[in-house]
Amino acid sequence: MSATGLKKITIEHLRGSVASFSLPFEKGKKLTVVYGENGTGKSTICDAFDFVGNGKVGSLEKRGLGKTNRFWSSVGKKSSDITVCLEATDSKCTGKVQKAEVACEPIGSKPKVQVLRRSQILSLVEAPPVDRYTAIKSFIDLTGIEASEEALRALIRDVERERTEAFARVGENQQSLTQFWQSGGSHHGSFLKWAEAECAKDTAGLAEELREIGNLRATFSVLSSYPPKHKDLSALMEGAVRSVGAASLKLGESINTVAEGSAEIVGILEAALVFLEVKPNPESCPLCESKENVDNLAKTVVERLQSFSSLQAARKAKENADKAVEDLGKKLAHLTAEALKHAEELNDQIKKTKWGADVRLPKQPAPSTLPELAAWVEENKLLPIEWGKAESSRQNKSKFASTLKKALDTYKINFDALKFLDALTPRLKRALEIVQAERRTFTDSVLAKIAEEVGELYELVHPLEGLSKISLILDPNKRASLDIATTFCGEKDAPPQAYFSDSHLDTLGLCIFLALALVDNPAQTILVLDDVLASVDEPHVDRLIEMLYSVAIRFRHCVITTHYRPWKQKLRWGWLQNGQCQFVELTKWTTTGGLTLIRTVPDVERLRDLLKEAPPDPQLICAKAGVILEAALDFLTLLYECSVPRRAMASSL
Amino acid sequence: METPSESVAGKILKRLVADELILESDRQKLTAKLAQGKLSASDWRLALELPIEKEKE
Repeated sequence: MSATGLKKITIEHLRGSVASFSLPFEKGKKLTVVYGENGTGKSTICDAFDFVGNGKVGSLEKRGLGKTNRFWSSVGKKSSDITVCLEATDSKCTGKVQKAEVACEPIGSKPKVQVLRRSQILSLVEAPPVDRYTAIKSFIDLTGIEASEEALRALIRDVERERTEAFARVGENQQSLTQFWQSGGSHHGSFLKWAEAECAKDTAGLAEELREIGNLRATFSVLSSYPPKHKDLSALMEGAVRSVGAASLKLGESINTVAEGSAEIVGILEAALVFLEVKPNPESCPLCESKENVDNLAKTVVERLQSFSSLQAARKAKENADKAVEDLGKKLAHLTAEALKHAEELNDQIKKTKWGADVRLPKQPAPSTLPELAAWVEENKLLPIEWGKAESSRQNKSKFASTLKKALDTYKINFDALKFLDALTPRLKRALEIVQAERRTFTDSVLAKIAEEVGELYELVHPLEGLSKISLILDPNKRASLDIATTFCGEKDAPPQAYFSDSHLDTLGLCIFLALALVDNPAQTILVLDDVLASVDEPHVDRLIEMLYSVAIRFRHCVITTHYRPWKQKLRWGWLQNGQCQFVELTKWTTTGGLTLIRTVPDVERLRDLLKEAPPDPQLICAKAGVILEAALDFLTLLYECSVPRRAMASSL
Repeated sequence: METPSESVAGKILKRLVADELILESDRQKLTAKLAQGKLSASDWRLALELPIEKEKE
């Protein structure tokens, strides 16, 4: 977007420009006043700026036409025929209608244009507060900040709720620990010191004691099992010994029954059978070397052995009984050895461990023989019950220590969380204060700046009337609502709509518009005021014009259209103080020629130019000087109310 | 050109850092989010908790 001086605007087929119309801008002059009677095309020039800067034709809006695009072109032309070209000293922007939208070339060259029309002058003053806010919203729009501020506010609510819950949890933990403390005797002055001291105690010793008692119980239990086992084995041994006696007796009887020496014969036959398995067909008897009956010798041996079977059974029974006695003997020996080992183990355990007072021990060490062990076990059979109680007591102590430690840990975690929230909460609130303060300061400063600007501009037009104390106030109870107030006859915060005359309200509307335009980067803004002086009364119009001159220089360029005839006269004869503006006049609009410029230089300026020419043209100089002299005399006679004869239409000079 | 929100966000973050409510290292990131209205409750919390955690260290 450029900020350089304007050179020319050329308009083709927009509204009243039926033919190409160019308005050149004088170098070094930031204000252009376009004078013309009604219907000469002043609004078309304003529309051209609106078209190229804002993509619209504002003069057609709010006339009940709906979408106005189809009325943009001059009669007989299409939208696509419209061209508006704005030339600056270093750039050029051409606006055309493309797909019902205004497109500017080159892209990005669109000028910043603000247009105020006669019909809009009271819109800001008379608008509802919400619409008024919309007009200035872009200057104080902090939607993003407000959304983030709301998130911070929600966070504060959450953290406060969280803190309440954390406080309750800490209270519950404290109560539990206090109960433990009181049940433990209320030592160490406070529940916390006591709990910390209790938790610092070594619980490993307790676990060791539990393990030792458990081992003692287990060893005693094993040792207790030996006497009954010994008793059973001894009974079995007695039976086995009796069985051996009975088997011996039976064997003796079998031997006597079969034949004397039969036992030896069975032995010889069994040996012969073993021999015959190795040598089944011997040539002679291996015992007597007789060859008689040597055939079928093996068969004969088997038959003879079968005759000795009862004897064999008795012998087998005897062998089995002997074996049983031998096995039971081994078992008894093993049992005795094991009992001895466990007895020594128990005695060692008792000796090497430092037992608590509640752990009662056997009066005598465990004996090394099984018969004595039975008596010893019987004597100490109640000890394991006492050991169980001692074990339970230690288990309870261990469980309590674990519960207390858990409760203390939970208390500390919750207490730390509460402490953290106590540190966080005021910081969150302070952050919210900063956000709110900065947001309000910014909004108030922008509104104050605008209001101050309005007041200053208004004072230029209505000096010393005491009406310049304008303030813009955001309604704190309504979002996006802006009130205008002034001080009227000592009454503060009075709405100007209720007290100001129409003319004063018109001026106020214009001042508000100008103030807003001045806030928004005026050095890049082309300000267009379309016939805004119409309702200003005579006493104020000169000051209003002077005010516009002083404001115009702060903008990139200012174009003012007017049909106010006195302004034409004042400019033409150089009566205004700040007359450094370009003055152009439009003549009657025609259907074929469209807009026409008739003069752009005031007569006084033209006289100066004629005087500068070399050689000067006396005839032209005298003619122009005569006209100016006549106008000066006319002004003086009117000013001093001199009674002189006048010609009709004299004021049209 | 800087929007009103961006301008105010810059001032707010400057004061939050000056009051040691947030860390200087988070300033730039938070300024953009604050201006865009994208600074959520969790973002605020994290940003304001960090200096407390740092103090503890």
